[in-house]
Amino acid sequence: MTTRANLSLPSAGRQAGPGLTSGSARERLALGPSSQLGCWWVLAPFLLTACDGPQSALSTGGADAAQLDRLFTVMLVGAVVLWLGINGLFLYATRRGGRPVSRGWAEALIIGGGIGLPVVVLTALLSYGLSIMPDQRAVGEGLRLRVTGEEFWWRVEYWPDGADAPIVAANEIRLPVGQRTEIELASTGVIHSLWLPALGGKTDMIPGRINRMSLHPTQEGLWRGQCAEFCGLSHALMALQAVAMEEGDFRDWLAREAAPAGGAGGAGAAIFAAQGCGACHAVRGTGARGAVGPDLTHLGARGSVAAGILPMTPEAIADWIRDPAAFKPGVRMPAYAHLPEDELTALADWLWSLK
Amino acid sequence: MTDQPPSPEHEFAEEQASLWRITLGPLIWALHFIACYAAAAVICAKLDASPPAIEAMRWSIGAGTLAALAGIGWAGRRSWTQWRDGNDDVFDDDDGSNEDRTQFLGHAALLLSIISFLGVIYTALPAFFETSCL
Ligand code: HEC
Ligand SMILES: [Cu+2]
Repeated sequence: MTTRANLSLPSAGRQAGPGLTSGSARERLALGPSSQLGCWWVLAPFLLTACDGPQSALSTGGADAAQLDRLFTVMLVGAVVLWLGINGLFLYATRRGGRPVSRGWAEALIIGGGIGLPVVVLTALLSYGLSIMPDQRAVGEGLRLRVTGEEFWWRVEYWPDGADAPIVAANEIRLPVGQRTEIELASTGVIHSLWLPALGGKTDMIPGRINRMSLHPTQEGLWRGQCAEFCGLSHALMALQAVAMEEGDFRDWLAREAAPAGGAGGAGAAIFAAQGCGACHAVRGTGARGAVGPDLTHLGARGSVAAGILPMTPEAIADWIRDPAAFKPGVRMPAYAHLPEDELTALADWLWSLK
Repeated sequence: MTDQPPSPEHEFAEEQASLWRITLGPLIWALHFIACYAAAAVICAKLDASPPAIEAMRWSIGAGTLAALAGIGWAGRRSWTQWRDGNDDVFDDDDGSNEDRTQFLGHAALLLSIISFLGVIYTALPAFFETSCL
């Protein structure tokens, strides 16, 4: 309530504008700054929400992100100290001191503060930044991933050590904890960028070339990533989940992921085949081998539907199939609104059961 | 500085040389920059980025950097002399005499040498820290 009352004050101040000298206007203007402060305090908690959660560079779960977090803290503390120092000096010179200083002092201040100090600070910061670059670019060990940016989803391929064919998945990345995994980044068509703030920095995915990054999760957890390079209508709806797992759990999961779909029969499977979904989607273990859209072999084991946009429930899957463009403008999957509800339900139930 | 007023031609030649000298520091910086970036680009993108080649490049950049710093240091020293020698009020080179003009150019060249010196160091720092093309 008080905020709302305060919010109306600036306009009161503006109305009083022409008569600035009148006592009442001055009083009202004097209220201005404190009322603005009031608004900012209300906003502060919203800003703080960025400090936590599955997609925050300030709440880290990986070695690379922790290093960047430290870099940020160092820069922030340094910036605050410099800001206070400069403004303190400024205040001192304009409000307090005001005495002229000798030429020698003035020159020392200009050369020391204008050249010496910035050189020392910049050299230290540059050296610090350069010294952590080899870590940020370190080579992975063992497992290799290939993530390809598509419109508007992620093709994910796992290449275990010595494998000659990949294990194909989509829209979710799983990584072993305590190990550095090499990630190759590719793209078809337009530029995307893979960014998992809690695990590391972002890297662009550029058509026609393979970029690389490597991630080293240090604790188990669920993290969220986001495409960080505008790639079309549903760019903002191109997210993904990253799961960091203990090494043993990861190996078990990867073995399951490599296996063909279980329970490949039933009404849902028949509708899937009859509707021709297999022209775009692969479900290993059935005849569906399409590679235009995401691999659906273990769809139900993922944390979300359609690249981080919908919850993993049979209802959400049915909603998606009925009208994908309702959730993602520009999507490259046709709508199946003509399917009767019971067929949609059977189809969705079957897809959801593919764990 | 001189007892006799110099001939206009001589004076012009002198100032022209001084104008050229002012670019010496930034010129060395630019050449050093191009050489470092070209070497890294060729070895990392066109050749095979082999560890021995990278090692050789890093040492070459180190040597080239020392040479560039020496050159800029020399240019800086010269401009210091040009600015300071026989200059009784170094911060008041603005009354338009030939002497003041020369001294001002010396001052400007000195400042450019300083920034070039720093630029060369910052250009070379990555070669000091990075040991691979990744
Ligand atoms: C023309 C190719 C095409 C056809 C045909 C097609 N899809 Fe899709 N489908 C896609 C694409 C592309 C996506 C990824 C959309 C996105 O997230 O941007 C997708 C996404 C999906 C997803 C979400 C996948 C995930 O990883 O979350 C499901 C489920 C799905 N399709 C089911 C179906 C079913 C069922 C049919 C048949 C009734 C079908 N699709 C037909 C192209 C197609
Ligand atoms: Cu994208």
